[in-house]
Amino acid sequence: MVGNRLFDGWLVRLLALALLVGLSLAPGLARSQVLVFADALAAEDTSFGNFPDESTARVVALPDDWARTRPLQSTPLWYRLRFDAVGMTAAAGPLALYIERACANVEVLVNGQRLHAVGRMRDPISLDCRQPLLVTLPIALLQERGNRVDLRLAGYALQQVGSGQRAGGLSPPLVGPYGELQARHARDSLLAVTLPTVASGLLVLTAALTFVLALARRRDTHLRYFSALALGWALITARLWLHDLPLPNYDSELLLACLPGLVALAAVQFLLHYAGWRSRPIEVALYAQAIAVPLSLVLAGPMRLNMIASSWYSLLVLQVLAAMAFCLWSIRPARRRDFWMVCALLLTAAFVVVIELAALRLLLPSPWPWLPSALMPLAFIGMALHLVQQQGRELQLAEEGRQALEVRVRDASADMAANYLLMAEQRVEQVTRQERKRIAADLHDDLGAKLLTIVHTSESDRISTLAREALEEMRLSVRGLTGKPVKLIDALGDWRAEVVGRLSQTGVEGEWAAPSEDLPQTLSARAYVQTTRILREAVNNIIKHSGASRCTIRCLIESGDFQLAIQDNGKGIPLELDGRLDRGHGMASMKHRAKQLQGQCLVESGPGYGTVIRLTIPLERHTATA
Amino acid sequence: MKTILLLEDLPEIRAWLKTLVLQVFPDGQISEAARVHDALELVSAIKFDLALCDLGLPDGSGVAVVEKLRETQSECQSVVVTIHDDDEHLFPALQAGAFGYILKEQPRELIAEQLQRMNQGEPPLSPSIARRVIAYFAAQAKPAQPDLMPHVSLTERESEVLLRVAKGFTLPEIGVQLGLSRHTIADYVKQIYRKLNVSSRAEAALEAQRLGLFRR
Repeated sequence: MVGNRLFDGWLVRLLALALLVGLSLAPGLARSQVLVFADALAAEDTSFGNFPDESTARVVALPDDWARTRPLQSTPLWYRLRFDAVGMTAAAGPLALYIERACANVEVLVNGQRLHAVGRMRDPISLDCRQPLLVTLPIALLQERGNRVDLRLAGYALQQVGSGQRAGGLSPPLVGPYGELQARHARDSLLAVTLPTVASGLLVLTAALTFVLALARRRDTHLRYFSALALGWALITARLWLHDLPLPNYDSELLLACLPGLVALAAVQFLLHYAGWRSRPIEVALYAQAIAVPLSLVLAGPMRLNMIASSWYSLLVLQVLAAMAFCLWSIRPARRRDFWMVCALLLTAAFVVVIELAALRLLLPSPWPWLPSALMPLAFIGMALHLVQQQGRELQLAEEGRQALEVRVRDASADMAANYLLMAEQRVEQVTRQERKRIAADLHDDLGAKLLTIVHTSESDRISTLAREALEEMRLSVRGLTGKPVKLIDALGDWRAEVVGRLSQTGVEGEWAAPSEDLPQTLSARAYVQTTRILREAVNNIIKHSGASRCTIRCLIESGDFQLAIQDNGKGIPLELDGRLDRGHGMASMKHRAKQLQGQCLVESGPGYGTVIRLTIPLERHTATA
Repeated sequence: MKTILLLEDLPEIRAWLKTLVLQVFPDGQISEAARVHDALELVSAIKFDLALCDLGLPDGSGVAVVEKLRETQSECQSVVVTIHDDDEHLFPALQAGAFGYILKEQPRELIAEQLQRMNQGEPPLSPSIARRVIAYFAAQAKPAQPDLMPHVSLTERESEVLLRVAKGFTLPEIGVQLGLSRHTIADYVKQIYRKLNVSSRAEAALEAQRLGLFRR
C-alpha cells in the first residue's frame, strides 16, 4: 500500500518540522535597548502592602528559584529593582516591564504606585506560572534616575506542588520599549498559554473520536485505553492554563496527582493491548498503583508532596517506557509496515515524557517547557490517525473476506441447488421406475392372467391366437416400459433364436446372416421392442400367408444404420393388396413402427418373386437416448 | 406311475394344465395347489416326480416351493410354468433348482412337446437365460474369498454351448456345429442347470455365514 507509506513518511516529517519550529521560536538574547535585571533586592513580606525596610533586604541573583533559595517557605517575597530611565524616555514609545515567569502570582508597584494586581495572592493563589506578564510603565510615573520597581511574589514551596514548574520563582524581569517587549510577550504567551490550551482541546477531541471508534470496535480494547490516555493527558495539561481552581492548593494538587497513575495505566494497557498481549495481573497491579499514588500523597502530608510525587512519576515513566519498548519489540516481526511509524510516534512520546519528568524537579530554560505541549498532541493525533488507518485496513480486509465468503456461500448454495435438482431428478427417476414396475406387475397379474385364460379356454382358434398375440404384445410393451438398453449383439441372439426356432417348427428353411463379433452398439428398450414386433410380424406373414419354403434374414450395420432384410421365396403379396398393403399382413403397422424409430420399412413384392422387407433404423439416436 | 404337483392359482389355467399333463403322462397322479402354503404342505406329505410351479402366486413366489423340493426331494424335477419370459423372473427360479420353464401362453402342442423333452432330459434354454448364466459364472470365477467358496465352474464345452445359445443358435444347430449328438448337448444343458443350482446354494450358504459373522 503506497498510500500508507506516504502517510507514514508525511507524519514523520511533520513531527520533525514541529520540533524545528519550536526550537526556532526560542527567544533570543535581549536587545541592547532592553534592561535585563540579573539581581534584585529581596525582602520577606511584612504585610504592609509596601516594600519593607531596605535594611532587612538582601541581594538575590535572578532568576530566583525558590526551590533552591527558600525551599521550605511559602510566604510572599518582595523584590526591588532599580533602574535609570535616562535616554529611554526619549525614545519613541512608552516603556514596559516584562516578566516571563512569576510563579505563582505577582503584584507590581512602580515608584510606590500599584500598577498590576490580578488574582488571589493567598491560598489558593492564582497559578499564573506560565503566563508571561507585561506591564506598561507610564512615563509620568518614571523619573530620570532611581526608579523603583517593587514586585510582591506569592507562591508555593517546591514540596507543596507536584511539579517544579508550579514552585515559586521569578525569572529576570525586563524593562524596555513597549513595542519590543509586547512582541516578545505575544510570542511567549502563544507558546506558553495558547499552545497548551489548543493542545488540550485537540487531545479531548482525539479522545472523543477514539472513544467513538472504541465503542464501535469493542473487540479492539486498545482503542478504549488510547481514548482514556488522550483524555488523561488533556486533563494533566489543562493545569497549565487553568489558573484558578476553587480549592486549596493542597487539594487541587492531590486531585492532579490522581491523574498520572491513571494515565500510566491507560498508557501501559494501550501499549500491551496494541501489541496483542493481555495480562490480568498487570492490569490489577496498574489499578492498585493508580489508587496507591494519591493515597501515599495523602499519607505523606502537604510538605513532602513533591518528593513522593516525583518518585512516583519516575516509576510511572519507567513503566511506560518499558511498555513502549515491549510494544515495539513485539510488533516488529509481525507488523513491519507499521513499525517505523509507531516507533517514531512512541519515541516522540517518550521524549516528551522524559522532558516532563525533568521539569518536575528542575526549572528548565526555554524552550524546553513548551516542547511537550507542542509535540504531545502531534504524537497523539498521529497515533489516533494510525489507529483509524489500521481500523480502515481491517475493515477493508473484513470486506474482502466477506466478499470471498459471499462468493463461497453462493458457490455452495449453487452446488446445493444442483445437488438438490440432481437428487430430485434421481428421485423422480426412481419413482418412475418403481411405478413402471408396479404397472408391469399389474399388467402381468391382471391383464396377463385374463388373456391367458382366453388363450386356453377359447373354443375358437382365432380368438386364442389373437389373445396369445395380445399377450406377447403386452409383454413386449412392459419390456419397453421397464427395460434397460439392450446390446445389439444380444438382441440379434434373441431374434435369431425366435426366428429360426419358429421357422424350423413350421418347416420353412431359414437362413440367418448377421455379424457375430462383439458389437459396441446398444438399442434402447423401445427400439428393441419395436424391431422385435416388426420381425415377428414379418415372420408371421411368411408362415401364414406366403407359402414360402425358404426365408433369408440378413442383418448389417452400415453408416450408422441398422439394416434388416427379410426375404422369402413365397407367392408375394397379392396385387390388389399392394395399394393398401394390409389386411392381416400388418404392413401398415410395421411401417408405422419403423417411422416411430426414425427409420423406414420398405416392402418389395411381386407375384413369383417372393417378398423382401427392408427395415432401416438409425443406430446412434437410439444408442444415445438409451 | 408319476406323482405330479401342479401349483397354479388361476382355476381355468390349472384345469387346462391338468388335462395337458394327463395327456402327456396318462398315468400321472396329480396333486393340485393354488397357494405356496398348500404346495409346501403337499411337498412335506407326498414324494413327487414332477412339479409344475407358477411363480406369481397370491401368497408368495413359487420359487419357495422349487427350493423346498430341491432340498427335500432331489429326485423331483421342478419346472416353472409362468407368464414371464424374461431372465429377471426366471433366473432366480433356475438358481433355486428349477430344471426348466414353460411359457403358459404357448399352444398346447408346444407345451406338450416341451414337457416330453424335459422328461427326456432336454431342458429349454433361451439366449437371455444363457447370457445371464455366463455372467453369473464369470462373476463367480473371481470370488472375494476363494478359500471359502466351493469351486464350481463350467467346463469349456459347457461354456461353448452357452455362448452359442446366447447368440441365438438352437440346440440341434449347436449339436451339428460341435459334431455332437442332440443327446450330448442336452446333457450339457442339464449339467449347466445343476451347476447353477449348486453354485447358487453355496453362495447363499456363504452369504448366510457372512451375515452370521457380522452379527456376532
